[in-house]
Amino acid sequence: MVLVGAVRDYLNRMLTDIPGMKVLILDAQTVGIISVAMSQSELLQKEVFLVEKVDAQSKDAMGHLKAVTFLRPTAENIQHLKRHLTNPKFGEYHLFFSNILKKAYIQILADSDEHDLVQQVQEFFADYFAIDPFHFTLNLSGNHLCMLPTVADSHNSQQACDRMLDGIAAVFLSLKKRPVIRYQRSSEIAQRLAQDSAKLMYEQESGLFDFRRTEVAPLLLVIDRRDDPVTPLLNQWTYQAMVHELLGIQDNRVDLTRLPKVPKDLQEVVLSSHQDAFFKSNMFENFGDLGANIKKLVDEFQQKAQSNQNIQSLEDMVKFVENYPEYRKQHGNVSKHVTMMTELSRIVDERQLMAISQIEQELACTAGQAAAFEAVLTQLNNEKTSDIDRLRIVMLYALRYERESPQTVEQLITHLRSWPSKYKPGLVHTLLRQAGFDKRTGDLYGNRDLFNKARNMARGLKGVENVYTQHQPLLAQTIESIMRGRLRDIDYPFVGNHFQQGRPQDVVVFIVGGTTYEEARTVHLLNATQTGTRVILGGSVVQNSSSFLNDLEEVQRFQ
Amino acid sequence: MATRNHTALYRRYREALRNVRPYAATGPGGGSIELVEAPLLNQGGPRGYNAIVSDDPDATSFRAGMTTMNLPPAWVDISDQVSADMQRAQGKMAELAKAHSRALMPTFDESSGEEHTIELLSREITKLLKKCEQRLQQLSKGAPGSEQDANIRKNVQRSLATDLQALSMDYRKQQKGYLQKLQRQREGQSVDDGIGIGKQQIRQDEDDGFSQVGFNVQQMAQLRQTEALSAEREKEITQIVESVNDLAQIMKDLSILVIDQGTIVDRIDYNITRVSTSVEQGVKELVKAEETQKKGGMVMCVMVLVALCALMLFVYVLKKILGF
Repeated sequence: MVLVGAVRDYLNRMLTDIPGMKVLILDAQTVGIISVAMSQSELLQKEVFLVEKVDAQSKDAMGHLKAVTFLRPTAENIQHLKRHLTNPKFGEYHLFFSNILKKAYIQILADSDEHDLVQQVQEFFADYFAIDPFHFTLNLSGNHLCMLPTVADSHNSQQACDRMLDGIAAVFLSLKKRPVIRYQRSSEIAQRLAQDSAKLMYEQESGLFDFRRTEVAPLLLVIDRRDDPVTPLLNQWTYQAMVHELLGIQDNRVDLTRLPKVPKDLQEVVLSSHQDAFFKSNMFENFGDLGANIKKLVDEFQQKAQSNQNIQSLEDMVKFVENYPEYRKQHGNVSKHVTMMTELSRIVDERQLMAISQIEQELACTAGQAAAFEAVLTQLNNEKTSDIDRLRIVMLYALRYERESPQTVEQLITHLRSWPSKYKPGLVHTLLRQAGFDKRTGDLYGNRDLFNKARNMARGLKGVENVYTQHQPLLAQTIESIMRGRLRDIDYPFVGNHFQQGRPQDVVVFIVGGTTYEEARTVHLLNATQTGTRVILGGSVVQNSSSFLNDLEEVQRFQ
Repeated sequence: MATRNHTALYRRYREALRNVRPYAATGPGGGSIELVEAPLLNQGGPRGYNAIVSDDPDATSFRAGMTTMNLPPAWVDISDQVSADMQRAQGKMAELAKAHSRALMPTFDESSGEEHTIELLSREITKLLKKCEQRLQQLSKGAPGSEQDANIRKNVQRSLATDLQALSMDYRKQQKGYLQKLQRQREGQSVDDGIGIGKQQIRQDEDDGFSQVGFNVQQMAQLRQTEALSAEREKEITQIVESVNDLAQIMKDLSILVIDQGTIVDRIDYNITRVSTSVEQGVKELVKAEETQKKGGMVMCVMVLVALCALMLFVYVLKKILGF
């Protein structure tokens, strides 16, 4: 519960110290930050009886309420606050900001506070969306900017970079740590972000980051999504990742309104690991095991329902009334997961994802150009293949064999052109330009040095348990190297003169351009087995294949 | 979990600006902005002097105005009453628990003082809970205020309902526990009594040989006593069952108010967007209503004019016919 717990602690401190009825004033981002960590009923318990957006125009004054604002320290929010203070609606104002507040802003606020309504001004560093205990995101708007050179759109890319810097700084402030910083050398934006972080933590705000030192300093590693373009292109078969790939998860919410035949009360559902015990224990299970577990859940529930049905004595009645809230809650939960499961398997059947996923996994994990070419070609010619799946397998093929056999790549691209599609076939070239062999640092396919080759061979001999989940993201390798202290300084240099000796206890890996739930799963499994090292994963967004392709389309428009 | 407190710095800035502000208002440069922003400070009189003096009183009069103008709405009192009652119920429940344990202790005297207090206490608690529940229903009824106010009221109601539900659940568990223990004790006692009487009877049979089979005076007295005891226990049990039933009703009413945790309804962002969409929808509906109203007026107008035309024509024709 590292990250979620930190945000919850901040909120508890914010709200319990102020007695009486409160109104919580938030901005577009902090609404999401709080929503993933706390529920409405928990807020009610803390006597927060109204939640408002800072830009909402409320008409009537409510002096009996105390306003608690939790906002990002942006110029826009300061203007809104100024409006609130000059024309107050609430009896008191307690100002909390989610990040480092500029002195000039404090002055502006003090200037507009003519009625002495502000009771406190504090920085509480909950400036990231803690979607899971070890996984955070920033929901960066304009995530494609991470792939563009800074000169292309310098104003917006500066803003994107600042937002990421804020997020990283907030994570380390919540953890009370100051890290040594490494970055992936081949990525311009990763380097920039790493250097900005170092400047902030060691120069501009060195006092704020001056925490008690641990024996081995924690590590911040900034890497680029483009170093592993394969993971966001693959179909997923574990619960959380699969839901995101096929239906889309936004701040732990899944929108089902566009799907046919979904009951009205389940048009939008919440999949949160800290509120839903079943989801917590099954979010990383693969599709088959998940089906079995859901069946078990349904059976259990049925038993309970039956015992609730035969009410004969007064005692049964008393028992029923007592268990009713629990029963109703379980009922909602069971129908939620059953609906998810039905929807997922419907989409899998419709798009023939079993066959496609097998080809994808082969492309990602095993070498064998001729066989792969054949498989891709037959799948392309299959009428039932959807356009996004066609594009994806060609991309995966292109990434793997761009150097080995460039003419077959071109052949497949021309083939792709013959099918109508909402995606332009030119995207394959955009992808290669962005994340081709020359741009990458890590050994994505395990064929660059002898050691990795040998390891790959060994894995091939051992055989794989499940063809659909044999892919391991590159991140797994990177983290393993960190733990063994074998991450190469040439590829991942340190910033400044803060070096690391020994094995760090805390590692935060930030992926510029977005994480995936497959990587989150890898990190979770590592944390569960490894003792002593805790890894936290974060990124600008959480990618699935369609969002990744959208980003590529945006990039293509700029070129 | 690092935090940084800027309150002291903020206060310092505020103090500094307060000292600066009146002079800024009189000063030649940059004064106009201050004037616009703080018209209260410059009401008539020689500016410089008055402004300094009136600075603080204005602020306080604003605060006073704000509190008098915005006396908390009436429902705040209701919610305070509900929470006070709940607290009292909680206190009573603690007392009741003590009384329960005392009543269950084996005693040698026959006084039923404990049972009486238990009865009184449980009746009072049930009454309190019922009262809370009724008040809670009132909370949503009162005069409809703005949308925000309605929203707050609903939320207050929800949170109180959640607390009340938990409280009545506790109470019921307490009652049920006592009931079970009481029943167990009674069963045990009756078994004991039966055996005792049986043994006595056998012994008597052995003693008297051919004498009449029946109870002697002592046995009769014993029997009567146990009967009275069991009747009393019976009464107690029915009482508790009654209060359990009352509570069941309360629970049913509350469950409508309490929101399920972990569902989409319990999401903060969902609730915010729902409020804003409902506001938007309201605006849309208003516009639509206005349109239809306008349309309705037009149609009426045309209808009236047509009717008038027909009438005029009729009169004209009539006049022509009558005239000639």
